[in-house]
Amino acid sequence: MAKREDDLRTPGELLGLASEFNAGRGSYCHDGKIYASLVGIRHLIEAKQGSDDLRPTIEIRREKERDAVPEAGSTVTAKITKVQARMASADIVCVGPRAVKEKFTGIVRQQDVRLTEIDKVDMHSSFRPGDIIRAEVISLGDSRAYYLSTAKNELGVVSAVSVAGATMVAVSWQEMQCPLTNQREPRKVAKVVTSNE
Amino acid sequence: EEGASRIVLPGDVVFGLAAQAQNKVLRLGSGLSQDADRVVAIKAGRLNHAKSKLWVEGSQKRYIPSAEDSVIGIVIDRRAEEFLVDLNAPVLGLLPILSFEGATRKNIPNLKEGAVVYGRVVKAHRDISPALSCLDASGKGSGYGPLKEGYLFECSTGLARSLLGTPTYPVLEALGKSLAFEIAVGVNGRVWVKSDAPATTVLVSNAIINSECLSAAQQHILVQKLLQAAK
Repeated sequence: MAKREDDLRTPGELLGLASEFNAGRGSYCHDGKIYASLVGIRHLIEAKQGSDDLRPTIEIRREKERDAVPEAGSTVTAKITKVQARMASADIVCVGPRAVKEKFTGIVRQQDVRLTEIDKVDMHSSFRPGDIIRAEVISLGDSRAYYLSTAKNELGVVSAVSVAGATMVAVSWQEMQCPLTNQREPRKVAKVVTSNE
Repeated sequence: EEGASRIVLPGDVVFGLAAQAQNKVLRLGSGLSQDADRVVAIKAGRLNHAKSKLWVEGSQKRYIPSAEDSVIGIVIDRRAEEFLVDLNAPVLGLLPILSFEGATRKNIPNLKEGAVVYGRVVKAHRDISPALSCLDASGKGSGYGPLKEGYLFECSTGLARSLLGTPTYPVLEALGKSLAFEIAVGVNGRVWVKSDAPATTVLVSNAIINSECLSAAQQHILVQKLLQAAK
């Protein structure tokens, strides 16, 4: 086995010729030569049997996993911090299944709360401060916040606390009920699909 | 409970719901909160019970916005779609620029910083800024809108409610017999008075401010004395 120092590559390092190798993830081809674009370990993957291209693929894989960062199109879990007339602010807590290491701020605009009747949306009847929501990142937004959307059936409030202090149960896509007082509160509820369905 | 009007402090248990095994509908008004199986007062004041509604009435200097209240606000700033209005409350109120009688996109009311408006609280909740309007529920002006000229002073929320309540507040009744003036009362503890002569405005304002703890008879005497001294 080659020692790790031999296989560690840095960006810009020449890996081989394009005539002999395929440029895989973490590398790129320029002027007939293959260079690394990441810091990491070089891996060689043999070509699939029966394929036309017999060249092995060079891949550079990072040693450590990167911290979770929201990307456009990723599903995030966020906690609502502020509800205003035309938008709601939230702190992004998880990206997919992974928790984030630093705080990201997201904004859900009035027109991105749901798919139907978007100009009649009442932000206060959709979210309240403290609610946990599942949302999708629409764009990286501006320097202050990501833009989030809950305009799908499976997006919206997944967990909320009632005014009496108890965790509420979803009764429809528009309402949640407090188990202590039986009072219903309006929210944009996410349709959580369980493994039984 | 019915008829018994008592003083409550924040934290006092008004009554336990579990003990009352009746199927009655009881509406909780301001100053009360449901805590699992008990109803607890969250404001200091007198507990009132009428029809099937229970509520606490207290007198504070600070106003807590509540829906359907008529308030006097002072314009602080103008945003793209609304005015920011000070209501003597913990948060600023938002007054949409089109929520005035006769307001259209081309004819937006030109309210500057410091302008006084008489408006209605449309929506109020502890998590949001209260939404205001200078139109009543059916879309008409009915007295709401900017208050021009005149004199504005502050009082407690209890006095403001008495001025607006029925029967007519004794001081207002007595003053109305001898003087001509316009008055607007906001339940957020603000009173606006306007009349032709500054002396009349001062007299009316003094009479109202000093009448808070007086009985009806004492209030009539107060007004008599003020009117005589003015002559």
